[in-house]
Amino acid sequence: MEVINAQDLSKTFRVKRKEKGMRGSFQAIFHPQTQMIRAVDQVSFSVEEGEMLAFIGPNGAGKSTTIKMLTGILYPDGGKVEVLGLDPTRKRKQLAYQIGTVFGQKEQLWVHLTPYDNFRFFGAVYDLTDSETERRIGELSEIFDLADFINTPVRNLSLGQRIRCEIVASLIHRPRVLFLDEPTIGLDPVVKESIRSLIRQMNREFNTTIFLTSHDVGDIEKLCRRIIIVNSGQIVLDDSMEHLKKHYMGRETLEDIIMEIYQSEGKVAMDS
Amino acid sequence: MRKYIVIYRSVLMENLQYAASVAMGFVSYFIIIYIFLKLWNSMYAEPGSLIAGYGREQMIWYVMITEMIWFGARSGAVTRQATADIRGGNIAYQMNKPYHYALYILARYTGEWSVRLPMYFVLAVAMGLVMVGPLSGFGPFAALAAVVSILLGITINGVFKLCISLFSFWIEDTNPFQWLYDKLILVIGTIFPLEIFPRAMQPFLKLTPIYTVCYGPAKLTVDFTPEKFLEILGAQLLYLAVGLGAMFLVYGKGVKKLYVNGG
Repeated sequence: MEVINAQDLSKTFRVKRKEKGMRGSFQAIFHPQTQMIRAVDQVSFSVEEGEMLAFIGPNGAGKSTTIKMLTGILYPDGGKVEVLGLDPTRKRKQLAYQIGTVFGQKEQLWVHLTPYDNFRFFGAVYDLTDSETERRIGELSEIFDLADFINTPVRNLSLGQRIRCEIVASLIHRPRVLFLDEPTIGLDPVVKESIRSLIRQMNREFNTTIFLTSHDVGDIEKLCRRIIIVNSGQIVLDDSMEHLKKHYMGRETLEDIIMEIYQSEGKVAMDS
Repeated sequence: MRKYIVIYRSVLMENLQYAASVAMGFVSYFIIIYIFLKLWNSMYAEPGSLIAGYGREQMIWYVMITEMIWFGARSGAVTRQATADIRGGNIAYQMNKPYHYALYILARYTGEWSVRLPMYFVLAVAMGLVMVGPLSGFGPFAALAAVVSILLGITINGVFKLCISLFSFWIEDTNPFQWLYDKLILVIGTIFPLEIFPRAMQPFLKLTPIYTVCYGPAKLTVDFTPEKFLEILGAQLLYLAVGLGAMFLVYGKGVKKLYVNGG
């Protein structure tokens, strides 16, 4: 079953421009200049239920903008998108009950509360009953091995512990699709590996669809069976990991293959 | 509704940890009230005299109540947090949760003042009783009317301040507008009752948030009549409805303009 379908998805941003120096600053007051940046340009793809997909590209390629359109945060300028049969911008709240998001660079946990209080909070936000929330906390706490720090305020946790809690908070309502935007950023190799194994386990046990963006080739290689590469807002490759490796046989690592694809696509756009 | 109560409860838990820092603000409150106590004591040199229809005790209690509202309703949620969320893009991570962002912020605001206001209430009552004495004619009906009116006033204040913050969807800096609003409330609203201002100005002042945020609750505390209560309650409900309507409208329009950069 198809869980994500994007057709000709596009997004343009208007960005302020200013000439250099003091003169430019004064000019900008009276003659403000803007430039249109096409962050996502007619992107089309679909994702099946239970798939683990890597959606990657250089900085400014349009990955995060695409995720934000898929999760209803940004309104597309053109094209059509459906996630679990819902239009994300029109049915954002309805969709929120069925998807989870982890943005590695942003905190969704309340730092002054303990992970346990945070999970109780998210359980209530997603309309779970108290007993359901308790059951779910018990289940996830065991899988993610949180027992030692579940009652420690989030502000006192290490980065690896916090990311594990961030992922648990995103899973409390049993989402069918999980969007992970650089979930392992800043983590040491041991913690990275443990996060990857937890994501794999979740996909295996609950058939959760994983939509991953990451600059970490290890995340991509160890988690995903399919890869979409975007550059300058357009898809430049959509292939299975297996086929990609066969096609680029002779390159030593996946990183070499990805570098070659990025470089052949030329200049990157601004960071979206 | 349950989720907003949980948001409120979580902020309450968070803010209870900072109750000691809230108490640091007591110094400013004490100084302001002390200055006004001295000022009004010299203005009311003759015993039993009235200024704009207010006796000495009423005038001092009026300032105590309005300042209590001002200090008790101070909030980072409806001002700094909402503005930073919108300008910095953090709002994106709140929007994909199954709650309304504006109501989420209001729930946080309510959690903030639920800690601050009772603390300032205790201080105001203690200072009032020690420095001025009990208010004559203040009975259970006046107390009930004052509580309802104070809670509505604080909510209206939060809604209007949030409306200003929501303009961050279009403009870089909403601080000048917050400053103007704060000064309107602080300078005109908290220090003097509306009756002190020239008669020609009073109808205009009644149309500003001063009437529903500060004047109404304080007036009902110091000079309660059922008619005045109904008039102020009606105005507050109307103001709240208009404020919430504006808040949903501004948010609905603004969110379509959201620009989130930086990956």
